[in-house]
Amino acid sequence: MNISVKEWFKSGSPWVWLNAGAVAISLIMVVGLLGLIAVRGLSHFWPADIVQGTYTVDGQSKTIAGEVVETNEVLTKQLIEAGIKIPDDTEFSTRHLLKVGNRDVYGSDFSWALEQFFTDQSKPAMLFTAERREWGNLYGYLRSLKESGKEIARVDGYDQSAEYIALWAELDKRVERALKIREDILVIEKHEIGAINYELERLRLKERGLQLDNVTDQAPYAAINQRRKELDAAYEGMQQRLLDLYTQINRDALTAEVAGGKVVEIQLAKIVRIFRPNAMNTGEKMLHYAAKLWEFVSDEPREANTEGGIFPAIFGTVMMVLLMSLLVTPFGVIAAVYLREYAKQGFVTRLIRIAVNNLAGVPSIVYGVFGLGFFVYFLGGNIDDLFFAAAKPAPTFGTPGLMWASLTLALLTVPVVIVATEEGLSRIPRALREGSLALGATKFETLMKVVLPMASPAMMTGVILAIARAAGEVAPLMLVGVVKLAPSLPLDGNYPFIHLDQKFMHLGFHIYDVGFQSPNVEAARPLVYATALLLVLVIALLNMSAIAIRNHLREKYKALEM
Amino acid sequence: MTMEAKTHSIDISALQRQNQSLRLEDETIALTVRDLELFYGDKRALHGVTMDIPKNRVTAFIGPSGCGKSTLLRCFNRMNDLVDSCRIEGQMSLYGQNIYERGVDVADLRRRVGMVFQKPNPFPKSIYENVAYGLRIQGINKKRVIDETVEWALKSAALWDEVKDRLHESALGMSGGQQQRLVIARTIAVKPEVLLLDEPASALDPISTLKIEELINELKKDFTIVIVTHNMQQAARVSDYTAFMYMGDLIEFGVTDRLFTNPEKKQTEDYITGRYG
Repeated sequence: MNISVKEWFKSGSPWVWLNAGAVAISLIMVVGLLGLIAVRGLSHFWPADIVQGTYTVDGQSKTIAGEVVETNEVLTKQLIEAGIKIPDDTEFSTRHLLKVGNRDVYGSDFSWALEQFFTDQSKPAMLFTAERREWGNLYGYLRSLKESGKEIARVDGYDQSAEYIALWAELDKRVERALKIREDILVIEKHEIGAINYELERLRLKERGLQLDNVTDQAPYAAINQRRKELDAAYEGMQQRLLDLYTQINRDALTAEVAGGKVVEIQLAKIVRIFRPNAMNTGEKMLHYAAKLWEFVSDEPREANTEGGIFPAIFGTVMMVLLMSLLVTPFGVIAAVYLREYAKQGFVTRLIRIAVNNLAGVPSIVYGVFGLGFFVYFLGGNIDDLFFAAAKPAPTFGTPGLMWASLTLALLTVPVVIVATEEGLSRIPRALREGSLALGATKFETLMKVVLPMASPAMMTGVILAIARAAGEVAPLMLVGVVKLAPSLPLDGNYPFIHLDQKFMHLGFHIYDVGFQSPNVEAARPLVYATALLLVLVIALLNMSAIAIRNHLREKYKALEM
Repeated sequence: MTMEAKTHSIDISALQRQNQSLRLEDETIALTVRDLELFYGDKRALHGVTMDIPKNRVTAFIGPSGCGKSTLLRCFNRMNDLVDSCRIEGQMSLYGQNIYERGVDVADLRRRVGMVFQKPNPFPKSIYENVAYGLRIQGINKKRVIDETVEWALKSAALWDEVKDRLHESALGMSGGQQQRLVIARTIAVKPEVLLLDEPASALDPISTLKIEELINELKKDFTIVIVTHNMQQAARVSDYTAFMYMGDLIEFGVTDRLFTNPEKKQTEDYITGRYG
């Protein structure tokens, strides 16, 4: 144990410890970050119990009920200073943030409740939650069911009774029915009528195109009109079916008594799901949790993006990244091949390399501005003039869209692909190139058959880096194609299936929008965490698939160590 | 090199195997070199080399490191074109056709003059695809033709029996000696007229070296072979003619056994007896 400090330094172990410490800190930071957003985000979907109690302030009592979202300790002094009459016998007071729901009744979803004032706390099994399409959650006691405006069943009281259970079962059945009808309505509205509208629009453009070309022959116009009539007829039929379905879905309604005694009536058509969290056991809650989580990743957003799922944003992100990869790979590889294999090495190539490297350091928003100015307005405007004149003055490509967003990001990431590919090309052993040339292959054949396949893992490395950079980028996208809410996915069943001109949703922008632009920030905050977690997962998944491809290629082209 | 040369004595029995009656005047000439000068930038690497390489014979280039033997070899299939600063003067022709003429199809020339390098350089493909590579480059895609050629080439390279059961496995899993024979098979698969071997056995163990030497003996029936070697015993064993080069000059060129037993030039004698190198 009598090693001198000098010797200890010489042994190198301080550096080992320093390195280990740095790695440990990095790891803890990554795990901590992921852990925080996972816990905050994922707990949102758990069906928390509804707490009911009497809240007494200044001698006035009222009944309140809600989910406890957050509990913290505040300085009692601070509360007294804020004008709350509270005994100062303790230094800290506990307060809860309750999600009381019923925004249509109370005006806001959340309210703070001091533990001291909140008495007679209980969790009545009969309290139920109804997730609605508008106005957020409803918490209350079921009172009656109505069919076509007429009351068909009714219960009173707050305790669990056989009648209440029977009524609940009936409600459950009817909500189920309404959801089914709603699905039918969606199929008709979104897909069938959507397809008809799409074709009608194409017919209109075709007609306008004929007019612009000064076609005087009446035959094509007649054909268009004929088809239009058919479509109109089909549309009429669907409209009728829709009307029927709407009458059916609007048949039932329920009334519920919310905390405070007020009775509200809601139509079952407006309900997404109903459940009684206090009466659920852990297994049921887990099932519920899984269903909610599935809804989050597979459904469309509701209520200004603060409820429902984020599927369109996931889809948009993945699609944009894939498109970006498809664009950036050939572009970067061709540039790198030219620079490394064909260009005469000298001042100009050095200048180009410096420019490429600096391109990687340009702030992304600058790319967004460039994309908007060059791609959207200039390129898109000219494409519209040339190919989509019939649609004018409405722009087709002369407006931000998926195509331009992908191109802008491709431009943003092309330096990393060029650098990685050049690196890969320079590592191909000279002996292999000579081997191919000596067999009578030309330089081009050698490139295509030996050099490029062997450099493909390096290219994939470039693409991996590009994906990592592009998928998390938000700023430039806001200028060139991402929107808060896109009415349809950029990929659907209408010809030509991929709609590159459409605007799309993106997880990164969704986080920004939900977190900072939402009318109901408190309700949306857990979704910000959940979306952030999902964004990380999506990027990790995209990267991992790229890495899997690279490893496969590496295995295939394992080069000789020469 | 110096040490190596000194420790080797010349294998007389190998020399006695050689046909004593070989005469350059009687041979058909495949490659002619006339006053060939080669420059790397300002540095002259070959000083007016003139020689004739006979058809269906093995011609060996020997000489100390840096004497220009590999450089000369790489002139035969214009491999030096790949070096930016390289410039060539003089004439070199294959069956009378100047290969440095304007308009010569270099890819076709390289098909006719195949080359095997110092270190085995199989492509990271299957054994089969390595041999088929040159054929596919030529646009031959008929499976039957390729199958037959691959088998013929592998048999000619004395490799068929070792690999016939794993033709579609990666060539990188083979031993060094096998890889080098695969490269030879790959080269002869395109049926070249001349085979250039640039120290083909220098990276191999003695047994593999022996196999390669036996192979060279077999192959000379069909191909004109030029081999560069560091190893004088090897030159004596496998070649019919030997050229001794020194500092970019061709010092002496003649029938192998005559050159080794009765060199005309003092420099040659000094080199083969290990007095310098």
